Amino acid sequence: MNSGSTKRKTIDTMLKLALAVFVFTIPVWLSSPTYLQILIMLFLFAYLTTTWNLVGGFAGVLPLGHSAYVGIGAYTSTVLFISLGVSPWIGMWAGALIAAVVGVFIGIPTLKLRGAYFALSTMAFGEGIRVLVENTMQLGPFTINGPRGISVPLLPGNNLLAYQFTSKVPYYYIILLMLCVVIFITWWFSRTRPGYYLAAGGEEPEAAQALGVNVARYKVLAMGISCFLTALGGTFLAQLTLYFYPKQILGLDFSFELAFIALIGGRGTIAGPVVGALLLRPVSELTRIYLSSTLPGLHLVIFGLVLILVMLFQPRGLVEPLERAYNWFLDRISGERKEVKS
Amino acid sequence: MEFYIQILINGLMTGSYYGLAAMGLTLIFGVIKVINFAHGSMLMVGMFTAYWIVKLTGWHPYAALILVVPMLFIFGYALQGIVIKPILVSQRDVREPTEVIIVTTGVWYILDNLALMVFGAEYRVVPTSLSGQIMLVGDYIIQTPLLYGFITTMVTAGLLMWFLKYTKMGMSIRAASLDRDAASLMGINQYRVYNIAFGIGAAIAGIVGCVLIPFYYVFPTVGVVFDVKCFIIVVLGGLGSIPGALIGGLIVGLIESVFPMFMTSTWTELIVYVVFLAVLFVMPAGLFGEKRDW
Repeated sequence: MNSGSTKRKTIDTMLKLALAVFVFTIPVWLSSPTYLQILIMLFLFAYLTTTWNLVGGFAGVLPLGHSAYVGIGAYTSTVLFISLGVSPWIGMWAGALIAAVVGVFIGIPTLKLRGAYFALSTMAFGEGIRVLVENTMQLGPFTINGPRGISVPLLPGNNLLAYQFTSKVPYYYIILLMLCVVIFITWWFSRTRPGYYLAAGGEEPEAAQALGVNVARYKVLAMGISCFLTALGGTFLAQLTLYFYPKQILGLDFSFELAFIALIGGRGTIAGPVVGALLLRPVSELTRIYLSSTLPGLHLVIFGLVLILVMLFQPRGLVEPLERAYNWFLDRISGERKEVKS
Repeated sequence: MEFYIQILINGLMTGSYYGLAAMGLTLIFGVIKVINFAHGSMLMVGMFTAYWIVKLTGWHPYAALILVVPMLFIFGYALQGIVIKPILVSQRDVREPTEVIIVTTGVWYILDNLALMVFGAEYRVVPTSLSGQIMLVGDYIIQTPLLYGFITTMVTAGLLMWFLKYTKMGMSIRAASLDRDAASLMGINQYRVYNIAFGIGAAIAGIVGCVLIPFYYVFPTVGVVFDVKCFIIVVLGGLGSIPGALIGGLIVGLIESVFPMFMTSTWTELIVYVVFLAVLFVMPAGLFGEKRDW
C-alpha cells in the first residue's frame, strides 16, 4: 500500500486537525454540566489508563493495584492543603514524588515475579494501602480521617491558586491538557532506548536478557514514571470531586477498571487507553445515571461481557481494527484503493 | 493458658474453611497455570445454590451436598468449556496466558452483578439445624458448624489427593499440569482435563457453600471477601499444591484469630497482606510450590 502520497497525507492531517479543534471547542457549545462531567471523567480515565499502560502495556505485566497511587496523589495534595495551606498545584508534585518512590520501592521486588504473581502482589499491595488508610485517623499533624474520607475545604468562587473552579470548563481544559502531555510522553517514551528495551522485555524477556538488556531495571523505571503521573491524576480527581474516601479512591474496582479500559482499547498502544475510555466510560456513566435504581450493576455486567468478547475475538484490543478501518477509509477517499487493486 | 488454646482452636477452625475455599483455586492453577479470578464468584454461586436448596427443601445443609456438588461440577465444566477454552486454544503456545486472567475477571464481574440484579444486595441467612450449635470438649467451646467444616475440609483434601494420585483421571490431570504437550502426545485430551479440573474446582466451591451457610451470610459480593484471601492463601502455600492451600488457610486463620489479641482487629487484614508480600519476596514459590512456576 502506498501510504506516502501527498493527497492521502493532507487528508489524514486535516482529519486529525479537525478532531483536535472539535475536542478543544466542545465546552463552547456544550453547556450541560452533566455531559461535561462525563467528558471530564472520560479524559481522566483515559489519562490514568495511559499512565497505567506505561507499566501494564509496555512492560507486559498486569498491575492491579494502581488505585493506590491515585489515592497517594489525592491524599497528599489534599492533606497538605488542609493542614499547611499548601496549594494543590504544589502539593500534587509532592504526591507524585511520594507515589514514584513507593512505586519504585514496591516495583523492585515485585517486577521480578512472573505474570500471576505480579498481578496478585500489586493487588495485595493496593488492598494493603486501603486498609492502612482506613485505619489511620491522624498521621502526626495530618488528618487522614480513616474510612470516612476527606473533603477539600470549599473556597468561595473561582480560585485558581486553590485549584477550585465553580464551572466545569477549567477542569475540562486542565484534564485535556494533562491527557495530551501524557500521550506525548508515552509516544516519546516508546521511541527512546528505554522504551525499546521495555517492549523487548515485555514480549521476549529471555531473548532481551540474552542480548544484555537489564529488563528489570527498565521495568522499575517505567513503574516510577507511571506512578508519578498516576498520582497527578489523583490530585485532579480530588479537586474535581472535592470529597473522596478509601473504598472509592483506593478500591479494587478502580484498579480493575483502569486495567479493563487499557485491555479493551489495546494494551501497549498509544491510542488504546483513549479508545477504551471512549467506549467504556459513557456506558458506565449512562447506565449509572439512568438504570442504577432499577438494574444495579448492569454496567459491570456489560463491562464483563465486552471484556470477554474482546479477549475472544480481538485479543490485541479494539485499536487494531479501528486503525485498519481508518486506513481503509483514507485510501478510499484519496482514491488510492483502485491504484492498489490495478 | 486455656484462653489462648481456645483462640488457637478458633483460628484453626476458621482457617480450615479458608483452606477449603482456596483448594479449588490451587487445583485449577496447578493444571492451567493461570489464576482463576472468577474463583470468588464460583464460591458465591456455590453459596447461593446451597442457600436456595436448603431454604426450599429445609434439608440439613450437608444433605444438600448431594445436589450442590454435581450442579456446581456441571457449572464449572461448562464455564471452562464455553468461555475459557477458546482462549486457551488460541494461546496454546503461551505457558501462562494472561488473557485467561482477564477473561475470568470478566466472568467475575458478570456473575457477581447478575446475582446483584437477580437477588438484590441484601444479606441472607437461612436457619439450619446446625446454626448456632456449640459443644463442649473439656473446657473448650467448639462451634459445631465450624467443627463440621473442619472435618469436611480434611475429608475433601484427603479425597482430592487420593483422586489425583490413584485414579486414571487424576493421573491425567497431573500429567497435563507437568507438561501439557507431552500429555497430549500420550493421548490425553488436555481440554477435557481442563474441563474436569474446573468442574472439580467448582464442585469444591459448592462444598464450601454447604459448609458456610449454617454460620455465614450469603450476598452477591461474598466472593470478593474470599477472593483476595484465597489468592493470598494459595500463594502462601505454593500455587498448585493441595496441602499448601490447606496450610496457607490455617496460617491466615491463625493470624486473624491471634493478632486481634494484641491490636485493633481491623489491623489484622493489613498483617495478612504484609505476611503475604514478605513470603512472596523471600520465597516466591511459597511453602510447597514448585520453583519454576514463579
